[in-house]
Amino acid sequence: MARVSQQMTRGAYALWVMVFFLIVFGVVAALYYTTRKVDYVWRWYRVPQYFLYKEKVEVRAEIQGRVQEILRSEENALIRVQGDGETGQYTVPAKDLRVDVGDAVYPGDVLGVFQRWKVGILMQGLWLTLKVSLISILLGIGIGLIAGLARISSNPALKWSAVTYVEIIRGSPLLVQIFIWYFVLGTVINTLLAKNGMEQLPPIWYGVASLAFFCGAYVAEIVRAGIQSIHRGQMEAARSLGMSYPQAMRHVILPQALRRILPPLAGQFISLIKDSSLLGIIAIRELTKATREVVTTSLQPFELWFMCALLYLVLTFGLSMFVQYLERRTAVS
Amino acid sequence: MITVDNVSKTFHAPHEVKALQNVSCRVAKGEVVVIIGPSGSGKSTLLRCLNRLEHADTGHIYIDGVDILDRKTNINKVRAEVGMVFQSFNLFPHKTVLENVTLAQKVVRKRSEKEAVAKAMALLQKVGIPDKASVYPDRLSGGQQQRVAIARALAMDPKVMLFDEPTSALDPEMIGEVLDVMKALAREGMTMIVVTHEMGFAREVADRVIFMDQGCIVEEGTPEHFFTNPTHSRTKLFLSQIL
Repeated sequence: MARVSQQMTRGAYALWVMVFFLIVFGVVAALYYTTRKVDYVWRWYRVPQYFLYKEKVEVRAEIQGRVQEILRSEENALIRVQGDGETGQYTVPAKDLRVDVGDAVYPGDVLGVFQRWKVGILMQGLWLTLKVSLISILLGIGIGLIAGLARISSNPALKWSAVTYVEIIRGSPLLVQIFIWYFVLGTVINTLLAKNGMEQLPPIWYGVASLAFFCGAYVAEIVRAGIQSIHRGQMEAARSLGMSYPQAMRHVILPQALRRILPPLAGQFISLIKDSSLLGIIAIRELTKATREVVTTSLQPFELWFMCALLYLVLTFGLSMFVQYLERRTAVS
Repeated sequence: MITVDNVSKTFHAPHEVKALQNVSCRVAKGEVVVIIGPSGSGKSTLLRCLNRLEHADTGHIYIDGVDILDRKTNINKVRAEVGMVFQSFNLFPHKTVLENVTLAQKVVRKRSEKEAVAKAMALLQKVGIPDKASVYPDRLSGGQQQRVAIARALAMDPKVMLFDEPTSALDPEMIGEVLDVMKALAREGMTMIVVTHEMGFAREVADRVIFMDQGCIVEEGTPEHFFTNPTHSRTKLFLSQIL
């Protein structure tokens, strides 16, 4: 690469690096200062519980009776309650028993208490976002590949179908598409399923479908551009050896095109992860919806929205790294 | 072996060009035919029509008795029998030299890996670069790439080889190595049709020279006749310009 920028001395370079960090620090400090001005109290310590928390579980009696015996093993205790013609058995961790042999118990009485770790709502949201995005990306690749190949086909039925699909999807807001998938197609499909005595599809199916078809339209254009960027001579050479069009595509054109389209594909997938934040509107509790719920209960919007943004950044950065790794791996010697 | 009967081809985009006008010729088995002519004369188009990389508008082309312009003809089968070498090599850059030569053998001829590799190595030996089998094409010189391209075409055991200006994209010092391979091939009795500007090659190797201009075959004959005693004024003009 030609270095057209002027040469910088080492000292000047260090100075400007410092300037950068001063800017970052300054912005953070200014933000903190202004939030204090409006009397916002930062409580970061409240955030971790939304990732992982200890849940207190109380084991309660369901019948009226008397505690007949308690069988202690190493960790657990088996409490046997003898009632009027019925018995109940409850397994409780031995550490925190609230009853003893001979005690009278009534329905609702606490027999024992224990705590266990539970995954918090933000963590669940993050996982759901990751899951929805990955499935949509994989489906989107499939749809995009087919649509992209159809787009460059000489068959008008295939070509025009692909063009129509791509234009409709790219020409309308994703939010509207999600509404159509859920409230129009979803209603129709679920009603038909119900009429035939089958189970309804949960919203996440429609959410994934909307994202996959949305993603597929962009992937199709990327695939088309990638294939068309491969020199015509490659296809001619492959065909002149007797390969059929699909064989030439598979062995010669697509492997080369794939390497070229990895960077734009990565950008598309990063967009998709971010776009999945719209799915909250059809009751899918992905990361953004989860954050919104947590904000309403915790009343700590500043920390939580920053945290939410950071989590998206982790996902997109991770994906970006993965694609860079793929690029290096597919690079020709 | 090859019969071209009254073939015409017109390109419409970007503007109308009558690339071939009622061209007829025959090539016998084992014959080496060199097609020469000024640029835009339709030489390459004629060559590309022979394996239907261009589809002729009218006329008939028979290869081994098969009408290749017939819709019912399996063109992939025909192409596997007709090797083609391009001006710009068109090696597959994502495959090693060896894979370039084995790919079509495996995909089209359904040969086993072992069989394909053995064949490929024998051919790379023949074109003089067996030591480059495991490198990628971008590490090779132009002359080496073109020799790999020849090996790749030969791997399909073609009945006829088409060369489309195989040395035009090469640096002068590399032209010889490619021509040597082609000469060796001609001596083995391969049927060859060569579009080239290498008059030395035409004089030495060709059984017949065809001169084309403006989409028509103007003159054809033996090299002696052609270079020493051309009859047509356009041929004379062309030869005076290049010799």
